[in-house]
Amino acid sequence: MNAHVSGRRWVAADGIHIDVRGLSPPDPLVAILELVGSIGDATPVIVHHERDPRMLYPELAEIGWTAERITGEPGEIRLKLERAT
Amino acid sequence: MRVSGIAFMGGAASRLLPASIPFRFFGAAAAYQLLAWIALLAGASDVPRFAGGLGWPLAALHLATLGVLVMTAMGASLQLLPVATRRPVAAHRWPATIWWLYTPGVAAVALGMGLPAPVLLAIGTVVVGVALVAYAVLLARNLLGASGMPVVIAHGYAALAALVVALVTAVSLVCAYLGIPLFERSSALALHMTFAAYGFMGLLAFGLSYVLVPMFALAAAPDERRARLSLILAVTALLLAAAAAAGVAPQPLRIAAVGTGAGAVVLHWRLMNSALTTGMRRSLGRSVTLMKFGWACLAASLAAGLGIACDVPFDGTAALFGLLLVAGWLLTFLLGVLQRIVPFLASMHRAPGKRLPPTPSSLTAERPLAIHFACHLAALALLVVAIVAGNPWFAAAGALAGGAGAVAFGSFLATVLRRMSLPDVPAGAREASVG
Repeated sequence: MNAHVSGRRWVAADGIHIDVRGLSPPDPLVAILELVGSIGDATPVIVHHERDPRMLYPELAEIGWTAERITGEPGEIRLKLERAT
Repeated sequence: MRVSGIAFMGGAASRLLPASIPFRFFGAAAAYQLLAWIALLAGASDVPRFAGGLGWPLAALHLATLGVLVMTAMGASLQLLPVATRRPVAAHRWPATIWWLYTPGVAAVALGMGLPAPVLLAIGTVVVGVALVAYAVLLARNLLGASGMPVVIAHGYAALAALVVALVTAVSLVCAYLGIPLFERSSALALHMTFAAYGFMGLLAFGLSYVLVPMFALAAAPDERRARLSLILAVTALLLAAAAAAGVAPQPLRIAAVGTGAGAVVLHWRLMNSALTTGMRRSLGRSVTLMKFGWACLAASLAAGLGIACDVPFDGTAALFGLLLVAGWLLTFLLGVLQRIVPFLASMHRAPGKRLPPTPSSLTAERPLAIHFACHLAALALLVVAIVAGNPWFAAAGALAGGAGAVAFGSFLATVLRRMSLPDVPAGAREASVG
């Protein structure tokens, strides 16, 4: 059985969104990497987080993705993840 | 407002402890690992039947426990616990001050034990004690009001309580060497060993594992209820051992403590095994092999502890117990964790670059780690043979093998630090190099 950590997901014009707020570590990390790993094209991933996911960046770098902070709701950390070009 | 990736990574980095903080603890731990094996070599003739008392085997034991295990635990916990508690470390100056007190204090303790020089040992104990109390306060401040992972926080509190017992009994044991008896020696010794190794270090290792192992394997957070039950059993085992040390039905309670502790270990191991077998990342290499070996030695240490409780007629039981507990379980497990988190933390700490931080795999050094792996396991095997056969030459050979492994581990750490300081690789260039 594989680990499956969901997080709420939806698709919008700017990419695939995932909301990992309320999950305990390391579930947000796992949920985001599961989603990123399932994307075969250049579709960006928008992450809705409640804190700065420091542990995520080395993992993203390892698979050639970048993180960029974008404007989110108050108290939210919102990230745009994209394949490095 | 859009914030660039560079600025954002800079913001993330600024909320971490500066890289110099965890890495100074890791560097000192690497140096003390080598010194521990050298001290063991110096006392090799006494190792096979060592059962306590001043001398180089005791110095080696404390260079390993205080110098490597606690040193690394302080560096790693100050860096990683805020991830679980969701609270930053309050004051950045404290960890550096603690390091400046603690590092020479450990050297004084080890020299005081090895030479032996009780006054130097007492001075070292006071300095180490002050540093550990300061660390405990720092940790407690982080745990108070923490909102994340309750079971990890509970392990942190239990570890802190065990640290208090370990420190009080350490003072009692050192005072006895100065001719000032406080508590009865055998009781203080039993409490000190149990609460320092299984209590403080063991509970800290269990608690941080609930964050680290799923993170390594990219697995879901462990079942909170089972983790809590494992902690309850572990704390119960410590209390039973404490009652036995105080003279309450010593043999039955020691046996009960071993049985209860075994229950805690089985539950913990099942949670860890579940994370390792269900995670997205299945190939974890030598680091997880060392961690699994550590867990096996933890179980074996309980069996040796049962042998002590049952008065097994073998002179080397105490030495075997200490070897399995400290070098087999705690040191092996910790070195397995360290070789995985050091490149990871180095990647997190790397100054913000052009597009991507350096990857952990580009910062690590596989060859020194392979040498360390072989030497460390050979050292443990040789020491087991030395104790079983009562042969000091095998102990000396084990110390030499362990020393070679420690040099290799130091080389790994130096390589990571050197690669951390190299200029960034542009993202496009890295993609091209990866293919």
